[in-house]
Amino acid sequence: MSKVKKVLIVEDEIAMLNALVSKFEKAGFDVLSAQDGKEGVRIAKKESPDLLILDIIMPKMDGISVVKEIRSDNNWGSDVPIIMLSNLSDPESVSSVAKYNVYDFLVKTDWRIDDIINLAKEKLNI
Amino acid sequence: MRISDKILLIVFVLATVLVLVVALLIGGSLQQVLLLGQAVYIFVFITSFMISRKLSQRIISLSFNVEEMAAGNFSKKIEIDSRDEIGQLASALNDLLSRLRTNVAIDVSKDTELAKAKTDFVTLASHQLRTPLSIIKWYVDFLVTGEAGEINKEQKKYLEEVYLSNERLIELVNALLDVSRIDVGTFSIEPEPTDIVERAENALRKYLPQIKQKEIHLKKAYDDIPKINLDPRLTKMVFDIVISNAVKYTNKGGMIKITIKKTENNILTQVSDSGCGIPREQQPKVFSKLFRADNVRRMESVGTGLGLYIAKAVIEKSGGKIWFESPSLEFLLSEEYKGKKITPDKANKGTTIFFTIPLKGMKKKLGTKKLSSL
Repeated sequence: MSKVKKVLIVEDEIAMLNALVSKFEKAGFDVLSAQDGKEGVRIAKKESPDLLILDIIMPKMDGISVVKEIRSDNNWGSDVPIIMLSNLSDPESVSSVAKYNVYDFLVKTDWRIDDIINLAKEKLNI
Repeated sequence: MRISDKILLIVFVLATVLVLVVALLIGGSLQQVLLLGQAVYIFVFITSFMISRKLSQRIISLSFNVEEMAAGNFSKKIEIDSRDEIGQLASALNDLLSRLRTNVAIDVSKDTELAKAKTDFVTLASHQLRTPLSIIKWYVDFLVTGEAGEINKEQKKYLEEVYLSNERLIELVNALLDVSRIDVGTFSIEPEPTDIVERAENALRKYLPQIKQKEIHLKKAYDDIPKINLDPRLTKMVFDIVISNAVKYTNKGGMIKITIKKTENNILTQVSDSGCGIPREQQPKVFSKLFRADNVRRMESVGTGLGLYIAKAVIEKSGGKIWFESPSLEFLLSEEYKGKKITPDKANKGTTIFFTIPLKGMKKKLGTKKLSSL
């Protein structure tokens, strides 16, 4: 029996967070969520999710700082798959996470949630 | 004639005269005179050759520095290697350089400040615009796909209109982000060793869900291409634009083929589709701003008319060429068409867009702005 995968979604815009949580739950994931970066890091360190989906512009701690924090955790954080989900698309943002081995940078307006879920499944090999 | 050659000539003449004068004064046999002459010539030739070459080199190196300045690179200071006339010239050029740098810095910083303010505004505005657009996209998608319960045909139709319109807005925001920075000529090109096939595949990824959904047959033909100096963002952008067009204008069950090959001096990319093509009368205007052919305006598709305009600007500034053919020979000659497995859309029988990038790579281009979309 394959374990249910845990995904942490960190997004400050409520309407978007609700949409993501609802769809990921329907897709069979165990979904954790946070509305700011700081809370996101706290939950991540406590729950060690299998996948993280992060926005960039967020209060308290932005997505890039969250990535930095997570990656600095040598036990689990350095390898966990991370998908950035943002409405920014500038090269500086992309390269600022690339240096932490985060190469999936999705622009929200370009992706339907079903397709994001498919990508998530791909990254988790399910 | 080079300065160094002039000097050599004068020295030769003087040396000859000197030898003859000395020979006359001291006397001696013809043989002695000739021997002395040879010795003097050889010695004088070697010395003056070395001195004049060195002089030439210093002057040539100075002119390289000035050429760089002329090309807009004010950052390098000229090394002063001695106090002689050439050193003085170098020193004067350095003064000129710092004067220019200050003046240009004032202009450029005003320019860059303005450009940065515009860029920041555009980035902020597009981010702010995209937020509600993505919310609409997702929620309308939920409704259309029945997430919130079954809907009737009419409801579905209306919701699909909303979804489509929203997609148009999204594309417009994307295109505006680029065009505002492209201002044909002021964007920067930052080449680094890049794998062009990887860029194509990276750009393609975004369209795989649509390709699958439209049941489009995707073919790829990639040569073994070495890494060349390309700006990775710009390269991906061009692939994105061209592939986006192919996917958009190809009907369900159609075909798209991406070919990347190495020719003698260039890398040639072809993106062919079996789609609605470009009508003959419209072909001359394809690369102009805000152009969308009549046949696609009538289609149910989104498009801003800015894509190929942007692609052309990027490719041409990178030293390449971009062109197209419609109908698409690639498609018409394909197995799929001949075997009637794929029927072309209407009368125009597909499009192939070609672009080349020189093997020697994109030339670095300083600019005050950076194209921002992925």
